Amino acid sequence: MDLLQISAVILLIATFGIVVRRGFSDWVHAYRYQTIILAVIVSLIATVTNILELYLVAALTFGIKAIAIPKILFYVTKKLDSPIKLEINPYVTLRSSVIISALLVIMSYFIALQLPIRSNEIVSVFLPVSFSLFFIGLFIIISRRKALSQIVGLLTLENGLFLSALVLTNGFALTIEIGLMVDILVSVVVSSILLFRMSQTFDSVDIRNLESLRDD
Amino acid sequence: MDNLPSLEHILGIIQVIFIIAFSPLIVGLMRKIKAKSQKRVGFGIFQTYYDILKLFRKEEMVSDQSSWIFRITPWVNFVSAISAGFFIPVFFVHSPFGVVGDVLLVVGFFGIGRFFMMLAGLDTGSSFGGLGSSREMMISMLIEPALFMTLFVIAGFYGGTNISTIVSSAHETSFLAVPGILFALIAFFVLMMAETGKLPFDNPSTHLELTMIHEAMILEYSGRSLALIEWSNAIKQMILFTLFINIFIPWYIAEQISFIGIIFGIITFILKVTVLGSLIAFIETNVAKWRLFRISDLVAMAIASSMIGMIFFFL
Amino acid sequence: MYGIFVLFSLGAVIGLFTRGHKNNVYFTYIPAIIASFLTIVLSFLILFSEPIQVNLFNILHLFNFEILIDGVSAFFLFLIGLISFAVSIYSLSYSKKLDDKKNNSSLGLFFNIFIISMILVIISNDVFFFLIFWELMSLISFFLVIFEHENKNNVNSGLTYLVMTHFGTGVIFLSFLLLYSHTGSFSFDSFRDIGLVPQHIKDIVFVLVFVGFGTKAGIVPLHIWLPKAHPSAPSNVSALMSAVMLKIPIYGIIRYLFDFNSIDTQDYVWWGIGMMVVGSISALVGVLYALIENDIKRALAFSSIENIGIIFIGLGLSVVFASFNLMSLSIISFVAAMFHTLNHSIFKGLLFMAAGSIHYSTHTTNIDDLGGLIKKMPWTALMFLVGSIAITGLPPLNGFISEWLTFQSLISIFQIPSSIFQVVLAFTILVFALTIGLVVATFVKLFGIAFLSNGQSSKVTDATEVPRFMLVGKSILALLCVLFGILPFIGLNFIVQAFDLSYIPLNPFEPISIKNTSGDNFASLMMPAAIIIFISVFAGVFVFVRIIGGKTKTTKYGTWDCGFGSSSERTRYTATSLTEPIRRIFGVFYKPRDNIEHEFYSEENKYLKKTSSVYSITRNIFDELLYEKVTMSCLSVLDKIRRIHTGKINAYILYIMITLLALLAFTGFGING
Repeated sequence: MDLLQISAVILLIATFGIVVRRGFSDWVHAYRYQTIILAVIVSLIATVTNILELYLVAALTFGIKAIAIPKILFYVTKKLDSPIKLEINPYVTLRSSVIISALLVIMSYFIALQLPIRSNEIVSVFLPVSFSLFFIGLFIIISRRKALSQIVGLLTLENGLFLSALVLTNGFALTIEIGLMVDILVSVVVSSILLFRMSQTFDSVDIRNLESLRDD
Repeated sequence: MDNLPSLEHILGIIQVIFIIAFSPLIVGLMRKIKAKSQKRVGFGIFQTYYDILKLFRKEEMVSDQSSWIFRITPWVNFVSAISAGFFIPVFFVHSPFGVVGDVLLVVGFFGIGRFFMMLAGLDTGSSFGGLGSSREMMISMLIEPALFMTLFVIAGFYGGTNISTIVSSAHETSFLAVPGILFALIAFFVLMMAETGKLPFDNPSTHLELTMIHEAMILEYSGRSLALIEWSNAIKQMILFTLFINIFIPWYIAEQISFIGIIFGIITFILKVTVLGSLIAFIETNVAKWRLFRISDLVAMAIASSMIGMIFFFL
Repeated sequence: MYGIFVLFSLGAVIGLFTRGHKNNVYFTYIPAIIASFLTIVLSFLILFSEPIQVNLFNILHLFNFEILIDGVSAFFLFLIGLISFAVSIYSLSYSKKLDDKKNNSSLGLFFNIFIISMILVIISNDVFFFLIFWELMSLISFFLVIFEHENKNNVNSGLTYLVMTHFGTGVIFLSFLLLYSHTGSFSFDSFRDIGLVPQHIKDIVFVLVFVGFGTKAGIVPLHIWLPKAHPSAPSNVSALMSAVMLKIPIYGIIRYLFDFNSIDTQDYVWWGIGMMVVGSISALVGVLYALIENDIKRALAFSSIENIGIIFIGLGLSVVFASFNLMSLSIISFVAAMFHTLNHSIFKGLLFMAAGSIHYSTHTTNIDDLGGLIKKMPWTALMFLVGSIAITGLPPLNGFISEWLTFQSLISIFQIPSSIFQVVLAFTILVFALTIGLVVATFVKLFGIAFLSNGQSSKVTDATEVPRFMLVGKSILALLCVLFGILPFIGLNFIVQAFDLSYIPLNPFEPISIKNTSGDNFASLMMPAAIIIFISVFAGVFVFVRIIGGKTKTTKYGTWDCGFGSSSERTRYTATSLTEPIRRIFGVFYKPRDNIEHEFYSEENKYLKKTSSVYSITRNIFDELLYEKVTMSCLSVLDKIRRIHTGKINAYILYIMITLLALLAFTGFGING
């Protein structure tokens, strides 16, 4: 119980790492730490529930999400033309977004309390955390301007979904799991290519540029 | 009031003297570690004592534009810092003066010191003083919500704002069992850095108008007053370290009055303070001073952290 | 008791008849001093004996003028007596300032009647007379606000005050009518059997009472009259208004909450939550505006809003605890609120009198024109410093005690058995703490800019210390600040006695302590001992420094000016620049706008600047967003109504005919149906 709680807390703290930083590579670092902790949590759940499959899932998470995806993203960051690799002027200031994220965490704990599914300890510990990850990911997507932060936000959101699915169902069939992971990998690759194209076309990765795609 | 000053009271006084006496040492130690980690030689760790002693004997210069506020500020600061020290258990759980005041009184004592400090900054009429007061005003206003929220979480988990109560129940429960405390720890750590003027917030070793906050307020002080201010800052830092250690990592603090227990308590306390001091010195080496208006981001982090701590407490 | 009224009226009347006389001031205010002293004595007499209930006369068995002075009234009587005692002494000298240009006796007349009307509001036990005296109080204070009516601004603010206060009175009237319709009597005694009234009526009445009294107390967003009216009045009156008159609505709310109702079920929770939310907003908004205000009296007025907010936080918390049946906690937060009421009266009275003294000797209240007053007016400066430390809630003065109690009761919210409420209430802590932080900044600014450093404007160099009586008036309250701070049990026991709370009175050598559910010591505070520690440490340090430092020399020299020659007035930090960082942080709220204007030596060369001036503007979002819209829409509606007035007599007669027909038809249907 203690260990589970503590790991949940550390996961939350790692998620805040994405919210409080401004640099592109800082986000990717923070995302990597977050995913490593997620992998640890998955293996913890595996030991508690004694489902051997989950170890494999943990290994997959580690391999794909904590090594491959950050590698791609680091590569992208390095190759980007834009000289300033910082989120300079987000829609919501950094200090407000920290506070709002904390409020989102509080909200998700409340929502998780209201839901009737509290079958065991794992659910009651990790479900609120997964909700918070989900909402914080959404919030990152909403509040930031740079395309890279959108990707990181999406990945955080996905981590949240993954955790909640895992906690509620004690793991899907392994094939679906692998499929999902590969899906993410592909989506990251695709969006990275998009990012490149964007920075080549507009000389920046500010998503405001996408507004010009609208047909007026 | 009829019981005689017992062993507890004597121990309490010893703890205060301990704080007063060793606080410059910690400052010296942290400076030394910082110097070493920046590949400098640095002063000896006792240099702070020599500085204070030297300043006490020096002639004092007072601005002719200042008033008595300027003169009494070092005294108010020093005395309020020491008075705050009376309520802090150092190596022995029960501070005998615990019944007199709680952690809010300690905050209040720090507050009165800071209030006079800001006034003294304005008193000399130099724009440096005003600049320092203005920035100090902003930071002290910002950290207040985070501080009270953190105190709320700690008081809630450990059943009281009385510091002895907090420490003894913290000693009984490991903080790993209560995840909310972990968030309170993060918040408290940020606050501690802010209150003691450590690097992302303030850089006390420069005298550059772009960066200085605390130094700008005390720019006009010299001689005995400066010594008092330096020392009271050291005491304040020591008190905050002690609070941090005894609230979050109170292991091996003496519970009963026994010779071995207390010696053991003292040794572990010194060890813990050294480790904490070195940790902070390393952090200071690694980070740069933040722009003034980004400090609020850092404080927002502390507030957020204590808010999440609160939700863990209510669940 | 009648002596009080006789003396006040005597003061009023004699003052009026001896106008132009040399000693006019003494004739006016000395009776007031004696009468307020008698008021204090009276309140103490009632505390330690039985409540007084006198039936003076009644009209038609409906309007019954009955006086009831119980503990609650006695507490507020004490407040009125205390502050008017100090203020009357202060006025002995203060009103001399007006002698040459002003009809002084009318100020004395209004001053006395104002105090009488407040006392009458507190002691009347009947709706009808309560409202009459309430109205009297409002009107007299209106006259006092526009007393210096040469200034156009003052008239304007007086009108704002008049409109807002009548809005409040109207709402209070409505609430009493609603109660009357269910109890069938105008006496407060009948309201005490409120159990007969259905819950939803009680809820409606609560909202009306809260809005009505809240308008007078200056809760946000009904506060706009307060920062206009208080600074406009002469300073002795603004001291009375801020310190005492704002507490009368609190008396009304307490009557309704705790006297008429007995809060024991969870139906009442939202009352408390509502009060806390409004209180928190008031506290924060009040102090945010106080911070950027450069006019000392306006800043103090905004700070009154903040303190009223803190009082409401305490009261609301008390209601919340009571509705969950946590009686001991409810009592603690109630005591906190009442102690803060008492303290706020004391230090706000003190601060307004000090502000008045500044105005008396420098003829300005704008702190940017001041500076270095501490050398010219050392005693006033000391008093203002005491007031500032007290209001910022720092030990060892009285503000600390009440804020300590408030915070302790806020911490105890974890005992409420509902986690939603816990989390909602916990945010109050954030607001409360932020408020305290901002108050410190505000008063550092006010004291620092006005009194410290050096001032070179002619206003400051000509300033002298104010006359004796003004100092005496202030020092009474300053001493009380210290007394209630280091010996808080006096104040606490007084409150416990007055409100008849089931809380064991403290004995002097006992700490104020709060126990948690398991009976352990949750928190305790023993100010006398803390003071003893403080003083003995001071003595010890003094001796220690003497021993190791020996005797050292002190030299005076000029402040370091970076080698630029004498530092002038222009290099000083101004009030605006001092608060600039905070203004930036709360930019959403203030919407600051800086206009920088440059003047050049020649138009061609833009590099040689002659002067640069910065104008910094902050906006009052309440005035702009709320009231302007309300006013605009009201005006447009009224414009439409105005079209009815065509000016033709035929049309008016048509209206009369229509009305008559309508009434007849109405009655006809009434009889038939």
